Amino acid sequence: MAYVATRGGERAIEQSQRLFKAEMGTITPERVAEIRAAMPYLIDRVMGEASLYDEDLAALALAQTGGELYEAVLLLRAWRTTQPRIAVAEPVTQGALFTHRRISAAFKDIPGGQVLGPTLDYAHRILATEVLDGQTNSPEPVEAAAKPSPAQQPSVAAWQAENGLLSGAVSDTLTGNDIPDVTREPLLFPAKRAHTLQSLARAETGGVLALGYAAQRGYGQAHPTVNELRLAEAEVVVTHPRGTQFSAGRVKVSQAEVVSKKGEQLELGFSATLGWNEVKVIAAATLDLNSKGAPKGSATEEEFFLYHTEGVESSGFCIHFKLPHYVTFQSSLDAMRDAKAKKAAKEKSPELAE
Amino acid sequence: MTLKTLTKPWEPMSYGFLDGSAKREIRRKMIKAIAVPGCQMPYASREVPMARGWGTGGLQVSLTLVNPSMRVKVIDQGADDSVNAASIRRFIARVAGTPTTMDTLDADLIQSRHRIPEEVLREDQVLVLQVPNPEPLRPVQPNMSIARQMHADADYGRMWLQLYEQIVRSGRVMQGASYPSLVHGRHVMTPSPIPRWDVPKLHMAKHLTILSAGREKRIFAVPPFTRVEPLVFSDVPYRVEEHAELTCHRSGTRGFFMNEIPQDNGTSTFEVSDSEWGVKSIRRRDGEDVALGETWYKNGKMSS
Repeated sequence: MAYVATRGGERAIEQSQRLFKAEMGTITPERVAEIRAAMPYLIDRVMGEASLYDEDLAALALAQTGGELYEAVLLLRAWRTTQPRIAVAEPVTQGALFTHRRISAAFKDIPGGQVLGPTLDYAHRILATEVLDGQTNSPEPVEAAAKPSPAQQPSVAAWQAENGLLSGAVSDTLTGNDIPDVTREPLLFPAKRAHTLQSLARAETGGVLALGYAAQRGYGQAHPTVNELRLAEAEVVVTHPRGTQFSAGRVKVSQAEVVSKKGEQLELGFSATLGWNEVKVIAAATLDLNSKGAPKGSATEEEFFLYHTEGVESSGFCIHFKLPHYVTFQSSLDAMRDAKAKKAAKEKSPELAE
Repeated sequence: MTLKTLTKPWEPMSYGFLDGSAKREIRRKMIKAIAVPGCQMPYASREVPMARGWGTGGLQVSLTLVNPSMRVKVIDQGADDSVNAASIRRFIARVAGTPTTMDTLDADLIQSRHRIPEEVLREDQVLVLQVPNPEPLRPVQPNMSIARQMHADADYGRMWLQLYEQIVRSGRVMQGASYPSLVHGRHVMTPSPIPRWDVPKLHMAKHLTILSAGREKRIFAVPPFTRVEPLVFSDVPYRVEEHAELTCHRSGTRGFFMNEIPQDNGTSTFEVSDSEWGVKSIRRRDGEDVALGETWYKNGKMSS
């Protein structure tokens, strides 16, 4: 019965998980609340990639996985998949966004004004090492501007379309449950516009950056100009069964418009995601801008970048190589050894081996 | 009408984890896959509490097919006690309340990664194979849209060319596992990375085989009594791994697919890859009354 005695799979699994959890200690509601309060940008990144907007669940996922980002996103996606789709919110329009930050690199000034908002863009990146010596580092109070910038602003692309620089996007007439949902139907190519934008919205930040950067650096055809980058809050407007519309709350969103000259017109690339994540939307909009007419198999082709920036799929496949592959390997060994033996026999007596 | 009348009492999880709409979609795609043997059917592929690439496609099919009276067996590389097989088996039992087994003869549903058991499967059994890459054309055409068109046109010339080039370069077909096979004379499919040893078991089999790739979002099937023919040239016969003469050093069973175990002295020993077949052979040898099923291979030869 020696064979049976070696069957330790279940116990090994249990103990390996205990080892992982032991390092992080007890997860308390306070720890989750602290993660949520202290790491808003990490929370945003995770919520975007999970395509699930819930700061508490995102903080819990980070606590539970010790900050292993791919695991945290997978936890949230697996939770999300069990949730019913109760309602489809009204479309969010750019003009209606409650805007915190909104900048354009295309013009010195834009209708509605440049709003710098919260950013580290011009910070000197110096570590506050005094904190490690026991001091605290508290933010200086923000001084309000003499004249507040408007909460809502039009998009720069809308102005360009009015001036004949850009052919405005064709508006999609689909509403409610008819809007294609990439989590409930397969992604096929050429992809539906909704599927493309949804896939980019939930793509893995690092993956989008790598491919977007490749396009920006020269492997794409179009050089992006940031037409508009916006960090905002959007009202989630849903319809009650009685028929009344109401806002169920606000979610943080980021969006980027990038443009490039194509003949006498500007071409537009667009991306938006849940949470504030500037790098992701600029890189994703660059990919969108470059995808039209991109050669098959190039990094800026839609099929290429949508497949390869899907973080749950790419990370899962990458770590699956840790699984045993000895059957597959044995099968290859068999073919290799036989081919080698054939070759050796041929070299020994060429006429016999044929 | 109130929200309350539109909803059911809250439950933390649906039976079998997946919700009704996910199961309905998978059932529809399975029926389509059975109707067009070997043809890949795209499906949404929900996220499940396991990483992509770890059997999420097979798992979704299993979760859709199970009911509380179905006995489930899960194997990975032939072994029931492999950690990932144990993990999947535990998950299915936990969310669907199914009894589990390691004995192929007792199983109603077998989810497997890269092996088909050595005992012949019956009409009432379903085999679910996990598939990492559903596209046999991937080595010659990585672009999925183009590959889809090639299947539609039955344009398999480059597959044949690839096999021919291997014969010219190496004196034989070098494909290890995942041997491309023509199903029902129409679609070329990958049988998933099962060894060449297992591919003939699919040909005119009594059982239904569903192949599912979760990450790549494709389901395809080999219905019962369907032709599955490995791509071969008429003058170069199909060859399975040369395991016919090997003996398992633990159970003494002979003529089945083996795992090679390297030894300190530079040699190798072998143990049978189908772990439960090995266990049953040992118990039989030790005098227990154990039922051994009929096997596809007899004396190391596939019986037709």
